[in-house]
Amino acid sequence: MTRRFTWLETLRLAVLAAAFVFVLFPIVWVALASFKTPEQMSEPFLFAFAPSLANWQAVFASGVFAAAGRSALVGVITVAISLVVGSMGAYVIAKYRAGGSLTRFGMLAAQVVPPAVMVFPFLTMAQALRMTDTLAPVIFAHLSFVLPLVTWFLIGFFEAVPASLEEQARVDGFTRWQAFRLVVLPQVYPGIGAAGIFGFTLSWNDLFYGLILAPGNAAILPVAIANFNTFRGVQIGTMSAAIMIAIIPVVIASFFIQRRLVQGISGGAVKY
Amino acid sequence: MASVTFSKVGKAFGSTSVVSDLDLELTDGSMTVLVGPSGCGKTTSLRMLAGLEQVSAGTIHIGDRDVTALEPKDRDIAMVFQNYALYPHLTVRENIAFPLRAKKTARAEALRRADEIAESLGLGALVERKPKDLSGGQQQRVAIGRAIIREPAVFLFDEPLSNLDAKLRVETRTELLRLQRQLGITSLYVTHDQEEAMTLSDRIVVMREGRIAQAGPPGEVYRRPADTFVATFVGSPKMNLVDGTVTGGELRTESGVRISVGGPQASSVTIGVRADDLILTPDADGAAVVELVELLGPRAIITVRSADQQLTSVVEAAALTEITVGATVGLSARDVHRFDAATGRRLDA
Repeated sequence: MTRRFTWLETLRLAVLAAAFVFVLFPIVWVALASFKTPEQMSEPFLFAFAPSLANWQAVFASGVFAAAGRSALVGVITVAISLVVGSMGAYVIAKYRAGGSLTRFGMLAAQVVPPAVMVFPFLTMAQALRMTDTLAPVIFAHLSFVLPLVTWFLIGFFEAVPASLEEQARVDGFTRWQAFRLVVLPQVYPGIGAAGIFGFTLSWNDLFYGLILAPGNAAILPVAIANFNTFRGVQIGTMSAAIMIAIIPVVIASFFIQRRLVQGISGGAVKY
Repeated sequence: MASVTFSKVGKAFGSTSVVSDLDLELTDGSMTVLVGPSGCGKTTSLRMLAGLEQVSAGTIHIGDRDVTALEPKDRDIAMVFQNYALYPHLTVRENIAFPLRAKKTARAEALRRADEIAESLGLGALVERKPKDLSGGQQQRVAIGRAIIREPAVFLFDEPLSNLDAKLRVETRTELLRLQRQLGITSLYVTHDQEEAMTLSDRIVVMREGRIAQAGPPGEVYRRPADTFVATFVGSPKMNLVDGTVTGGELRTESGVRISVGGPQASSVTIGVRADDLILTPDADGAAVVELVELLGPRAIITVRSADQQLTSVVEAAALTEITVGATVGLSARDVHRFDAATGRRLDA
């Protein structure tokens, strides 16, 4: 049986297609640019050309990979701390209403404050501790937005765990901490995994804090990418190759967590 | 194994008192059932014994240990929750063995004992499964297995049968009773189902509004209910209660109900008659009319109306040739309970 599209479905598909092109076009353009020579770069709408690996070779030689390694390190440490602290925080907020609704919703206030307001206290502290241009202040700065989001993200997952599971474990002879670790936590592993990837992506994508707190030898990947904007002009080809290196992990991560992402961001408000 | 003693135990949530002045002793090895309508404080009492709720007043002892301030893990109890609370990430075998992990039993030994228990509960073939792959009845047995592996001093059951279908509920009830008798572990069982309470208990404790309305062997509570609340709560169909005056061996109400009850004269009395004890006699001049006949098999529940009062009687199915809907019948009571019309208390207590 053939299925006929109604005008509404046609419209919906058209909007989706437009959105798809709108989102994907810059990525495709950057991917193509990473294989163009400087001469070909002057033709933005050139889509068929002999690809050159010159940009990629330049990127390999430029230290972008070292910066990517530093970004990964910052992301992993930030996420590890956020998951340990955030899971415990989310648990007591979900189960014991700790801090009341002010804490629950107030923790998102950090997202409203512009990073520009936050960065100078971080910079002042880093200077006082003689830690400028190291990864430590970047990690602290990233924690300021990753930790609240990871916590918020996990609340809904903990709320979905029946209280009787923890109570059963306590009656079965375990302490509250053991009940949390051995029984409650395993129920939210999917959420923890998604929160971890989500938090890592946020940290990985940050340019602002990295640019101010560690602009030099300890530059993280987005800073390294920005450095292709030199006094001689923007080196679009090499920058594009570096951008591709930054994009690929995020795209892969997003693919794996897309469903959990909706569930976490809605704080468990949406039935799933 | 041990006895359990609640002494003057109270529980309030904020200014709302849920349980007050609870004095209760569970003798060693006995099965005590707390029963009552929702919100009567039975589950709260159980949870206080488990340590999942703190008491607001009084003390709780298990044996001669004062456990009032102890954590659940230190009370040596096992509990079966209404929803079974099986650990979803563990297999049947691991679920049953889990409490032994807290006792630091070697893993191999714990799993071996779990297998034995699973086998004895008819779960032998399912030990590798996760709870989500089990039926309700199987999940229930896993929860029981997990409770017995600890060999606790006290078993706690929080409406463990209420999620099962009617047939399985009766089967599991029998199985549970057999197991409790066999293990001889002091048990406290909470249910809102009076039939379950009657069949399972050595001692039934009827609760109402946070207090004990009556406690005793189920037969005694059934035969001699302490007040009209217990009288109507225990027994099915529920006891008929009629307010009136007894003169000349007949109960009369102002509206015109007449039941032959025997016994001494009394005014302002509430007469209780169990459905089994209310005898219907086909009588064209009778005071009641048959409204409804519900056949149960060998017997039938008959609903009759007399003036403003609806009454139920249980009769042998053989009598149904004469007792039909619309028939006029006379009422007499084989055995009556007399209660104070004002307070509802039993008069010959």
